[in-house]
Amino acid sequence: MIYLDNAATSYPKPAESLWRALHRYLQLGASPGRGGYDLAVEAEQAVSGVRRKLCRFFGADEPYQLCFTYNATDALNLLIQGLLRAGDHVVSSRLEHNSVLRPLHHLQRQGLISFDLVPFNPGGFIEPEEVAAAIRPNTRLVVLTHASNVLGTVQPAKEIGTVCRARGVPLLLDVSQSAGAVPIDLRGWGVQGIAFTGHKSLLAPTGIGGLVVGPELNPEPTRFGGTGMDSKSPYHTPEYPYRLEAGTINLFGVLALDESLDYLEQTGAASYEREMTLLKRLRDGLMQLSRVRLYCAEQLSNHLPVLTCTVEGHHSEDVSAILDGDFDIAIRAGLHCAPFVHQELGTLDKGAVRFSLGPFTTEPEIDATIEAMKAIAG
Amino acid sequence: MQRTIGGREFAFDEEGFFNEFDDWTEEAFEILAHEGGLSLSTEQHRQVVRFLRDFYAYNGRAPLNNQLRKGTGMSLLELEALFPGGLKNGARRLAGLPNPKTCS
Repeated sequence: MIYLDNAATSYPKPAESLWRALHRYLQLGASPGRGGYDLAVEAEQAVSGVRRKLCRFFGADEPYQLCFTYNATDALNLLIQGLLRAGDHVVSSRLEHNSVLRPLHHLQRQGLISFDLVPFNPGGFIEPEEVAAAIRPNTRLVVLTHASNVLGTVQPAKEIGTVCRARGVPLLLDVSQSAGAVPIDLRGWGVQGIAFTGHKSLLAPTGIGGLVVGPELNPEPTRFGGTGMDSKSPYHTPEYPYRLEAGTINLFGVLALDESLDYLEQTGAASYEREMTLLKRLRDGLMQLSRVRLYCAEQLSNHLPVLTCTVEGHHSEDVSAILDGDFDIAIRAGLHCAPFVHQELGTLDKGAVRFSLGPFTTEPEIDATIEAMKAIAG
Repeated sequence: MQRTIGGREFAFDEEGFFNEFDDWTEEAFEILAHEGGLSLSTEQHRQVVRFLRDFYAYNGRAPLNNQLRKGTGMSLLELEALFPGGLKNGARRLAGLPNPKTCS
């Protein structure tokens, strides 16, 4: 199979990383921080080491805090529901995934908050000036995707961070797509928080992610329970990282993230360059097909290896079915859980076809994909 | 959405898919296909519809793409062209299979 759905989840994973993580888990698999015996202490030390390593990876040294979650959606929910209060206003964008949109709509429907979604320009980028213009006196949070899961465009985080800092409003980035693909530097960009997932470009398994927050983002816990600390207290542990971690964490996921970071350290930048070269090859091939329309792909700088298109006369889900059934090519069709992007593109009715490359994508696979699209759209 | 076809009431969802798999009739298929731009259905159309319905009735789900290709003996590209509306909004809808409502 030719797998071009890495924006959904990276596949395959680096097998050697997973095997190493499994080996460590088999050796170390006690409950981290839930006992005084050596193995539990060692497990907790391993988890703490991965927290520090991830913070370094994201340019988020002290006083940033990292809490592990199931995934980015879980992290976004923890932050949005734990931070916002009645009367608060939020600035977000029309590029967002439902992982941001649905928590915001949920709180809006309850009559608690209001929000504005800033547009993106024809190239697929959010203008910092648009963010500045949307901020109100009661704006409590700006939450934006760092990279669009539909268009692949990487947003000007540093410039937007500067705007938010000047207005005294914390900026939270959803780095689901970008983490592991392009560098992230919270402190350097003036960003107060990120929500990340392990299973996309960080190349770890599903079920592990995290929330990194600075002092201006201090959400109240919205989940309560055991933390392995202060068991006599009837109330949840207020200190980080336990503040937002109720119950036993996903130790295998944490160890796999650790191994993935090592893998990325050796391959990351080179892999990204190679994937972008392949993306250009795909873009150039599809541009030759008159019935294929590409979106925001003229310039591929500040871009992830993601390409979205429609095929005249074909429903996107039919294109996906044909690529799969006839050509053994896996892509993602539809609205990609980001309805406002498609509303802006005019693709709300039939959706669009998304190709997303990964570290194991090859040139012959790209050429085969172009040939398959020729058969469909030729 | 309710409508009467051949003197019988049918319920459809907002995209025109049958609400109930068992409501489907051959007469409803012919009328809906005609409305969709298929001036005359052929035995090939009926074979595809029969395969889809039999598969769903037996397995409780629609065939995978690969199963659809093997089961009909046609490529999905050919199947898409055969039905007005294509695969999902054509063949699947006209065969009375539920709307897949995947993350789209």
